[in-house]
Amino acid sequence: MDRFRVALGGVLLLLVSTAAAAQTTSVSGRVANTQGGVISNAAVTLRLLPPPGAPVMPRTPNMPTMPGMAGAERTTQASADGTFSFDQVAPGQYILQVDFDGFERSSQAITVANQPQTVAMSLQPLEIPGAEGVAAPAAGSVTDTQALVVRIKELEQRISDLESSTVLSEPETRVKRIEVYVDPNGNEHDQPVAGAKKTVTYRRERVYRRQTINEKIEEALADAENRNVKLGVSATLATQAARRTQGPHGDADGHAYQLSSADLFFTAGLAQYTMFFADVVGLSGAPPDTEIPSITLLNSYTARLVHQNELNLREAWLRTEVFSQRLSLIAGRVDLTNYFDRNAVANDETTQFISDALVNNPMLGLAVNGTGVVGVIDPKNGFNFKVGFQQSSANPTNLSESAYTLGEVGYVMTPFSLPEGNYRVWYRHDNSDHRQRSGAGISIDQKLTPVFTLAARYGQADALPGRDHFYSTGFQIANGAVVSPLDTWGAGYSQTELAAGRKEKLAEGYYNFHLSERLRLSFHLQHVIDTNAPGTFGYLLPGVRLQASF
Amino acid sequence: MFNSRSLTILCGLVLAVCTAFLGVRLRAAGIDPTSVVMIVERDSNDIAFMDIKTNKIVGKVFLGNNVNPHMVMMSPDGRYVVTGGTRANKAYIIDVATLKLVKVIPVDIAPEHLSFSPDSRWYYQGNPQGDSIAVIDMQSLTKIKTITGLVEPLNVTFLPDGSKAYVGNYGAHWVGVIDVRRHELLKKIDVAQVPGVAKLDPAKYLGEIKGINYAAPTTDGKYLYAADSDLGVVGKIDTREDKVIKVIRVGPDPWRIYMSHDGKYAITPNNGDNTISIIDLQADKVAATLEAGPNMTGVNYAAGKAFVISSTSGFVYVYDMKTLRPAGRIKVGTNVQLETATTDIADEKLYLADSTENAVVIIDAKTQQMTKITEGIGQFPWGTHIMDSKDNYCH
Repeated sequence: MDRFRVALGGVLLLLVSTAAAAQTTSVSGRVANTQGGVISNAAVTLRLLPPPGAPVMPRTPNMPTMPGMAGAERTTQASADGTFSFDQVAPGQYILQVDFDGFERSSQAITVANQPQTVAMSLQPLEIPGAEGVAAPAAGSVTDTQALVVRIKELEQRISDLESSTVLSEPETRVKRIEVYVDPNGNEHDQPVAGAKKTVTYRRERVYRRQTINEKIEEALADAENRNVKLGVSATLATQAARRTQGPHGDADGHAYQLSSADLFFTAGLAQYTMFFADVVGLSGAPPDTEIPSITLLNSYTARLVHQNELNLREAWLRTEVFSQRLSLIAGRVDLTNYFDRNAVANDETTQFISDALVNNPMLGLAVNGTGVVGVIDPKNGFNFKVGFQQSSANPTNLSESAYTLGEVGYVMTPFSLPEGNYRVWYRHDNSDHRQRSGAGISIDQKLTPVFTLAARYGQADALPGRDHFYSTGFQIANGAVVSPLDTWGAGYSQTELAAGRKEKLAEGYYNFHLSERLRLSFHLQHVIDTNAPGTFGYLLPGVRLQASF
Repeated sequence: MFNSRSLTILCGLVLAVCTAFLGVRLRAAGIDPTSVVMIVERDSNDIAFMDIKTNKIVGKVFLGNNVNPHMVMMSPDGRYVVTGGTRANKAYIIDVATLKLVKVIPVDIAPEHLSFSPDSRWYYQGNPQGDSIAVIDMQSLTKIKTITGLVEPLNVTFLPDGSKAYVGNYGAHWVGVIDVRRHELLKKIDVAQVPGVAKLDPAKYLGEIKGINYAAPTTDGKYLYAADSDLGVVGKIDTREDKVIKVIRVGPDPWRIYMSHDGKYAITPNNGDNTISIIDLQADKVAATLEAGPNMTGVNYAAGKAFVISSTSGFVYVYDMKTLRPAGRIKVGTNVQLETATTDIADEKLYLADSTENAVVIIDAKTQQMTKITEGIGQFPWGTHIMDSKDNYCH
């Protein structure tokens, strides 16, 4: 059947070519170099162009190219005097191209009508610096003088290129880590050899690559930066005022407070996938927590305050990644709240809420940083698992004192066609206060739209007697409904219920202005109500926080 | 006895008979342009051709010392392969039938990315450091014009009808519209406004500018999506009216936007916070923002997944495009630098350039297994290209 169809096509083509044969003409010409010298025996191709607007079909080795079809080619060889000719050329649009070793292809579009056409084709030398075995133009076809003139012009062009782009042309060398095979005699082979063992070694290789002077300098600076210890600074000024809203007049009523904090942190790469981090912090000032005895801290920075105007080592740890970087291990002086119970909306006291109840879950129970170790398994498939151990005592006498152990499972979901949400469940066990205690909690943040993210936390912990409970919820607005594109704002509410009967309700709203990459300014309004305490009270605390980081 | 007319008729008859009974067909010589992966080998200054079936190098074209080719592309008609030599300030044209370099055309400073018009007539070679685009006529193989007035042009997108082309200007915040008939810059489309608060941050906004890399077309060519790195947004452009009709905020420092093959989603790798934003193109909003890796250079789609290349970490991050969730990552190597990748026509395999190992890594998208090809690969492979792949890009 296929052969029948092709035969039918051939017959039809025969009819077409019969008709076309009555209207053909010829295309001829002469091939020369740019100085007019003859080029003999060049390959000349005449190709029929598709009509304008026709779909482009890629030419493949299996594609039939019958005469008269778009893309059909005819090739001939120019004679010794450089002339060529194509007969029986049907009218149409064609590409005429000429090829000869050592010269660039000459190509031009021609329109063939009913009249014979003569085309002059001119070839320019093709120079490939560094190429081996490039054939010189055939002897006798170009005179020596003409070749010299062409060469001088090319050299002048190259000098001009070099002057304009200021490049460095020396070969560059770089060191590569390679695998080789070493036999029992210590001889090194590039390929496997009987008795040879595969080993890793390092070798320099040379490359012919041009770089501009700017690129060289940038590369050197980046390389130097990678080897250095990196230093960062973060400073925060938080000013708050207190106005009593419930209960009799108290010490804090009408007072203003300020706490300043400066963090200096260092990071350094020590080995493959291994880094060192240290954070030194100094605080000074009077936070509202010194006068308002709420259950949770009204300024989360207060947790870092050990002694005024003193530098304290907040964190110092080593981190390494093993098993194809699926497992991260961190050991040293750690802050487990950096790894557990995280939340996209309520986790960062520098840019989000300032109330500690909306930054951390108090049921975690971690009062201060301490010696510890954390393992994080994150195969980047949405699940992650964390286990951590930390001592949380200001003045420990041994490692087993006030020891906290935490475990957490986290999962990334996109439920009900919503954007991403993070769901975490944690459990902790500790021996603080000379007894075994446990706690558990969840932390959720779920984007409802690209602009609006909802968050929630719950936690409970052993108390004496009964259990303490904690609830919080909040939201954050980002990427929309803001003054400046990178601003964020949010609101949150938390409720802490101690087994002893004391309760705290806290609400906070904030707006964070992103003034520059390094400077943020935020306004806060908190309201806290502490009930069932000796002297039930409520306070309204407006505040301003300025945060800079380098 | 026989005049030319009779001879033609006789030849046609013989041809028909041969075709019918012998199955003989006239074939074009050379490699099949649809069955090779082209590899830009930057530091060995050549273009390699690897057979897709055998993974063997079947051809190599040396361009000259110190050329440092950047991006390679096959013309839509499968006749030519072209590349810009960044350190030679020239465009190089290779004949596919003979795998020979046939033309070298001086262009402007530091040519990098390029594009073909859909009819294969025009080869637009972008010269970012020259702030221009060289227009090369593929019929005469000559440069006929240099389009100026651009600002670090990185990529060019032609409309399917070839009437206009859109240029991503990395040194500015606008997309240039070019009239392809006259090869002139017609207008500039501002993707988004720089926020007023920018004057408080001269270190960021005056130190360096990272604007628009690429304007990605929808499958029907009616709209373009362009990510602006400094502004952290994606602008949607209506190509009929050449105006921005929507601005979508994504993560910080999006490198560029990559369209999924089914036209439903697009991804911006956000190098500012190592995340990706997955944009739902029906609703024109971010459907998910997921954790990724540092220094992302490309996104490829295959087997219902997205593969995000993290250049310096040695990982390719994988995402399920049905559930829009992370689906693991593929470790390519240690201390390696990954460049860009192309995807085969069947959307089954990725061909990723691994420059420091002088290798091409073939990733099976279904199984996520990989094969490293080093045999025959030259120095510092910078990019790969397969004709008609939906993921042909450069960085």
